Amino acid sequence: MNLKKYFVRALHRLQKGPGYTYKELLVWYCDNTNTHGPKRIIKEGPKKKLIWFFLTLLFASLVFWQWGILINTYLSYNVTSSLSIGFKTMKFPAVTVCNANPFKYSEVKYLLKDLDRLIEAALERILQPTPGNSTESPSPPLNLTLWYQIPLVLIDEHDKDNPIILDIFESDQTDKGNETTAGNETSGGNQTPGANQTSGGEQTACSHQGSDNCTYRNFSSAAQAVTEWYILQSTSILSKVSLQDRIRMGYQAEDMILACLYGAEPCNYKNFTQIYHPDHGNCYIFNWGMDEEALNSSNPGAEFGLKLILDISQQDYIPYLSSAAGARLMLHQQKSFPFLKDQGIYAMAGTETSIGVLVDELERMGYPYSDCTNNGSDVPVKNLYSQYNTSYSIQACLRSCFQNHMVEICACGHYMFPLPEGVNYCNNEDNPGWAYCYFSLRSSIKHRQICIDSCKETCNDTQYKMTISMADWPSEASEDWIFHILSYERDMSTNVTLDRNGIIKLNIYFQEYNYRTISESAATTIVWLLSSLGGQFGFWMGGSVLCLIEFGEIIIDSLWITVINVISWCKGLKQKRAQARYPDAPPTVSELVEAHTNLGFQHEDGGALPRGEALPPEPGTPPPNYDSLRVRPLDALGRDSDAE
Amino acid sequence: GAMAPGKKITARIKRTLPVRGPQAPTLGELMRWYCLNTNTHGCRRIVVSRGRLRRFIWILLTLSAVGLIIWQCAELLLNYYSASVSVTVQFQKLPFPAVTICNINPYKYSSMKDYLSELDKETKKALETFYGFSEGKSKVRRSVDEWNSTGSDFFKQIPLLKFEDFSKTATDLHSGQKRKIEGSVFHKDSSIVNSGDSNDIIGFQLCDANNSSDCALYTFSSGVNAIQEWYKLHYMNIMAQIPLETKEQASYSADDLLLTCFFDGLSCDKRHFTRFHHPLHGNCYTFNSGENGTVLSTSTGGSEYGLQVVLYIDEADYNPFLVTSTGAKIIVHDQDEYPFIEDIGTEIETAAATSIGMHFTRSRKLSKPYSDCTETGADIPVENLYNKSYSLQICLHSCFQKAMVNSCGCAQYAQPLPPGAEYCNYKKNPNWMYCYYRLHEKFVKEQLGCQQICKDACSFKEWALTTSIAQWPSIVSEDWMLRVLSWDKGHSKKLNKKLNKTDLANLMVFYKDLNERFISENPTNTLVILLSNFGGQLGLWMSCSVVCVIEIVEVFFIDSLSIVLRRQWQKAKKWWNDRKRQRSGKPPQAADLERQGHDNPVCLDEDLPTFNTALRLPLPQGSPLPRTPPPNYSTLRLESAFSEQLPDTLEPGQH
Repeated sequence: MNLKKYFVRALHRLQKGPGYTYKELLVWYCDNTNTHGPKRIIKEGPKKKLIWFFLTLLFASLVFWQWGILINTYLSYNVTSSLSIGFKTMKFPAVTVCNANPFKYSEVKYLLKDLDRLIEAALERILQPTPGNSTESPSPPLNLTLWYQIPLVLIDEHDKDNPIILDIFESDQTDKGNETTAGNETSGGNQTPGANQTSGGEQTACSHQGSDNCTYRNFSSAAQAVTEWYILQSTSILSKVSLQDRIRMGYQAEDMILACLYGAEPCNYKNFTQIYHPDHGNCYIFNWGMDEEALNSSNPGAEFGLKLILDISQQDYIPYLSSAAGARLMLHQQKSFPFLKDQGIYAMAGTETSIGVLVDELERMGYPYSDCTNNGSDVPVKNLYSQYNTSYSIQACLRSCFQNHMVEICACGHYMFPLPEGVNYCNNEDNPGWAYCYFSLRSSIKHRQICIDSCKETCNDTQYKMTISMADWPSEASEDWIFHILSYERDMSTNVTLDRNGIIKLNIYFQEYNYRTISESAATTIVWLLSSLGGQFGFWMGGSVLCLIEFGEIIIDSLWITVINVISWCKGLKQKRAQARYPDAPPTVSELVEAHTNLGFQHEDGGALPRGEALPPEPGTPPPNYDSLRVRPLDALGRDSDAE
Repeated sequence: GAMAPGKKITARIKRTLPVRGPQAPTLGELMRWYCLNTNTHGCRRIVVSRGRLRRFIWILLTLSAVGLIIWQCAELLLNYYSASVSVTVQFQKLPFPAVTICNINPYKYSSMKDYLSELDKETKKALETFYGFSEGKSKVRRSVDEWNSTGSDFFKQIPLLKFEDFSKTATDLHSGQKRKIEGSVFHKDSSIVNSGDSNDIIGFQLCDANNSSDCALYTFSSGVNAIQEWYKLHYMNIMAQIPLETKEQASYSADDLLLTCFFDGLSCDKRHFTRFHHPLHGNCYTFNSGENGTVLSTSTGGSEYGLQVVLYIDEADYNPFLVTSTGAKIIVHDQDEYPFIEDIGTEIETAAATSIGMHFTRSRKLSKPYSDCTETGADIPVENLYNKSYSLQICLHSCFQKAMVNSCGCAQYAQPLPPGAEYCNYKKNPNWMYCYYRLHEKFVKEQLGCQQICKDACSFKEWALTTSIAQWPSIVSEDWMLRVLSWDKGHSKKLNKKLNKTDLANLMVFYKDLNERFISENPTNTLVILLSNFGGQLGLWMSCSVVCVIEIVEVFFIDSLSIVLRRQWQKAKKWWNDRKRQRSGKPPQAADLERQGHDNPVCLDEDLPTFNTALRLPLPQGSPLPRTPPPNYSTLRLESAFSEQLPDTLEPGQH
């Protein structure tokens, strides 16, 4: 009982609020709050009261509505972009140069000997329908094991439902094949003249089980079919060769890079970093920034850029592997892997190619503003290109993703991509079904989509916008001495070993404006949110955070009142002796207003406040301290407080 | 109970919410009351401050705060329609654009021979006589004879002239006669004219057929340009008369143009291409035109996954006068866009592999009122003659064509036909060339108003192309490549000749990466932000809000006005009463004075309120018991803002 009393008293002490009833409390709040509307409600006449009441309600709801919009806007994490264009000293891009042809034919000839003879014979058969011509030249027996793994066939789709498939090398069917070819020529409809067959499973399994495990890749053109077939076969053969040998078979830096000049400073092939690229063999990267500091360029114009003279020795190309001749080059960021198939450009032999560079940067904010990654650590794909010590890029991610799928499904890695640990490259002997597996994986939209979904783009996207122009080089007048000097420098011989078909001049330089940077900044910060919230609240109601605190205080007060009321009600119920000591009617609202503006009505045990401070300096008698005027809490509590 | 419910309600409203004027009796009082009770900060200081200087300073400060608020808010309003740009990059599967490929030469020269032989013969003769150029001696002799015998329609219509020393005379190159030049002179390349080498100036004259004195003269510094332009005029004239089917027949078929096709690692053929006839480029073929409703997409970047085609460019069958370059033209565009291949095509070299890397950018502008662009083109008063979605180019071309039909009576050959019109030719419109040149002149000088009417489209897609060229086929692969390609070609077309590498062009179009850049404009300001900025300004300078604004409206407009009106009404009434009294001769009575300006009589409560009145407790009526009179304290006075209060503003219970 004692504890309860103490508790109640503590409650009461806490509730030194402005009133002891809800009405009182509300009126007090309206009168004293700093928000603009409520004051008017109680100050004006009844009609205005009503108007002001609705206005205040309206404004309050407007404020809340607008706040909702603002908070929503904030949570959508919008960004604004700012663009800057100009020239500044920048890191010169890393320049990768490769030959379009991966290996010197003279070096790989012994590996591809069988394959080349095979394809020559196949072409012979395709192109010369009359068998007499082909038998004229006696040739050594062909290695048909290669052929039977993936044979080239002719598909006659003249009869749509029953396409006739003819293996070019099946000796007993040669006549038939000729007939079909002839048939194609006479009919002249829309058939598929050349086709490439890829077998699934083992070669023997395919022939035994019928065509269930076989798929035919159709090509509308024989040229296309032959190229694809050759790439497949050579990939399989070359994948068995060790990396050192492959590097040896490719183009060496000293043979390829004949002259180099960066700005006014001479450079040579030693300034290039060698990297083995599966598509293009040996590639050489200038200014990769791996071991040494990246070079800066602080002047625009061709005089301050990189000038290169390359020799691609077109005579030594592998005839069936790459039909386009030229150098492949690419500009990229330091420490990134060059994906030449995607971003690379060609430079034609016998020309001078000038490339003006504009660095187009996009700097983005990371999560939650946009879904990008800074270093790829949060991407669920193992980056296989990290073995080159290169930074993350979306191309690296996609290729790694593909290779990981390939290893998972086909149990071997594709030759074009880096290997995960403990896995070998696919070849026809160890993995006879790899080509089938590869093609089904490559054309699978599902797998592509998985990779697209799991890879994220980098937050800082840098592109090198190139303005490419070309001119013939060397000119006819200067040709002789240029070839002479370059040949001499390379081979120390007076014989001219270079010609128009192999030589390429490159100029790479910054344009007058060398950067265009689009950088993002948050459109809505927390400061923005707060000032907008404040602005809205201020605009409609003249309120501030303090007003919110006031409101919270009132709610707490009303809670106390509720608690007190409930307690007293319980008590009353228990004791059955709740009587009003003052039988007069309860005071009206307006009375109470006056009561509170007049401090004489203050319920303070310690008596009234010093008059002079609280009231305007109006001389007068102090107000009577009538008991009847006392705004009284319910008697039970009143007694408690009085007891103090 | 007898009252109607409506009346009852109005009566009730009148009772509970009586209409009363402002409480302040005078404007000064009202202002004072306003300043003391307003929610804004400055005003109160003005009233409360003591001393003139201080009050003056406060007035100044308040006024400048008001000024600042107005200035800043005006600034906010003026900048309301501004847009900010955001760039988003999305890595995703991208739709492959439509790729339109044309041979630079529109029609096979061999199949157009019937129509053009006459013109070509004349051109050759002209070349021979003017420049001494001949392909074979014997031929020329014969043709010169023919020339003299038949005479030339083409030269009669548009004579080629050679000018001497900028004088007003010229030599007709056909007849050799000197003639006087009339009319205005248009220089096609005027910068070269100024170099002073007058020997080389050559041109032709276009005369108004109805009024032969009105001629326009077009000069060129080089015979190459003059002959080509002259040939083109006649060529278009001839072409306009040939039906479309014949022209399509005479142009290249898909089998002619496309040797191999490869897309995304799979073989494709002519079924993936849509034919489209371009007036100047003949048959063009659009890959992935989306015509059958499906648009191909790319999910891997890189050259292997794009479109690879080998084109057959039959150089031997080129028109020698119409086109002077060899190769193909391609354009990368959206499926909805019309390919303006003559304007923005990229040229493809033969005997080379052209690799075109694409980078996709989508842009979106805000339309009115942010910028003057159009979403669909529906609000542009120019009929779209192309059945493709709106673009600025389409609008300009359509506008010109419309003007052409209106003023020349026939349509220009290079653009589509408006309904009901037909292409210009000599026979029907002998005057069209003159008319066309005049109109084109006006169009270029922006006198036709097309540039003003046409707006740019609000959203557009752009494929930025990086083009590079490699030699193709390489020396070592040339032999087998050409043999196999000849075999391919021989299959589809029963022709058995070995192809030459200068007849072939290899083209690769691919996405460099699948990053789509989306540049969009967003409104910088929304209404919410504008209002909160207003609120910030109002709050910063004066702690004001909409409530203050309403207060101001209430006090300064409604209340002040009603006070002024009331004063005037009182004055008028007083004046009226005075007049009445003067007429009747009665002195004014106190009761009258009291009632002045009031609708209902009241007694002003001059006494200080008692405790009872303050609490509005009813006085015990007729109580027999003597009671202490309630104290008459001044502090008990009801707090009223005004010392003097008009009776009609008082609460009804108070009197």
